[in-house]
Amino acid sequence: MTVQKRTSATGRHKAFSEHNVGPAQQGQHGGLAPSLPQFGHISRYWDREHHCYSAKLLPGEYYVTTTGEQIATVLGSCVSACVRDRRTGIGGMNHFMLPQDGSKGTSAWGAAVSAATRYGNVAMERLINDILKLGSSRENLEIKLVGGGKVLGASAIDIGARNIEFVRKYVTDEGFCVLGEDLGDVFPRKVQYAPATGRLRVKKLNAVHNNTLFERERTYAAVLDKESVGNDIELF
Amino acid sequence: MTRLILTVDDSASMREMVRATLQSAGYQVIEAVDGQEALDYARENSCDLVISDVNMPRMDGITLIHELRNLPNYRLTPLLLLTTESSAERKAEGKRAGATGWIVKPFNPEQLLATMARVL
Repeated sequence: MTVQKRTSATGRHKAFSEHNVGPAQQGQHGGLAPSLPQFGHISRYWDREHHCYSAKLLPGEYYVTTTGEQIATVLGSCVSACVRDRRTGIGGMNHFMLPQDGSKGTSAWGAAVSAATRYGNVAMERLINDILKLGSSRENLEIKLVGGGKVLGASAIDIGARNIEFVRKYVTDEGFCVLGEDLGDVFPRKVQYAPATGRLRVKKLNAVHNNTLFERERTYAAVLDKESVGNDIELF
Repeated sequence: MTRLILTVDDSASMREMVRATLQSAGYQVIEAVDGQEALDYARENSCDLVISDVNMPRMDGITLIHELRNLPNYRLTPLLLLTTESSAERKAEGKRAGATGWIVKPFNPEQLLATMARVL
């Protein structure tokens, strides 16, 4: 899917003027504009093919930009929500999967409050809140969903399907405007999202030769299962 | 008597999760979608405890706490903030505004209920 439904010119201009961020990347000579302070740890590179800087997301990370950068990642069974403000072109992308249920002892509350749902909610809310804080409102957000492949073969558990089910329900419950999705199937995906224009490029990859991808997702899944979901409480 | 809890969050899914958790423990739940709606409710009604998000349109959770503490009915009411924010600076702002406690999302249902029981 290469979805491109909106022109960028006015949105981008507005984003720059409203937030006082200079024209960050008119080419290699312009240099790399600083990221928002909370994203200093995200690695960025010059994308020769598309002539812009690109932030590279690993599983569990998210990124928001005001400067017309792209955001890139490779998805196996993980999903990404691509979220932007249609007026300002400010937006971002996350990359996450749900933790496996069962180890958190939350059966008393059922699926609505399972550890998986709670984690997924926060993965979405962090991204959306950071965009809202830059002057956006929920009604102006538009979303594209991508990923959730059944990449580990027919015999494996379909982790991708759970992630898809969650993210679709989330955007429906929240009443967000979903412009497009490329979910499921059996392929890993290389994705590039440009919040300034809303363009999402998706390239389906050969599933057989992606050991690095599978290893990263397995490591991420193992961390999620060990992490205790919800322990940070402070009484004043 | 059933305790009445006011929950405030701009995310419908988060409101649903908090409501499901509280109702499972026998609490009665009133929901507001932002700080302003919660404050409008609180000006006319008392409740036993408030759980509020921080980042919301119209009125954020920290301003809400500050406003609630100025209402005679809410001077002693436990006010909990439930948020994705975890920085020491934001927590300090919440404390200064008069919050009773700070819970970082994702919340653990058992611990949320245990915390409420402690402050009620």
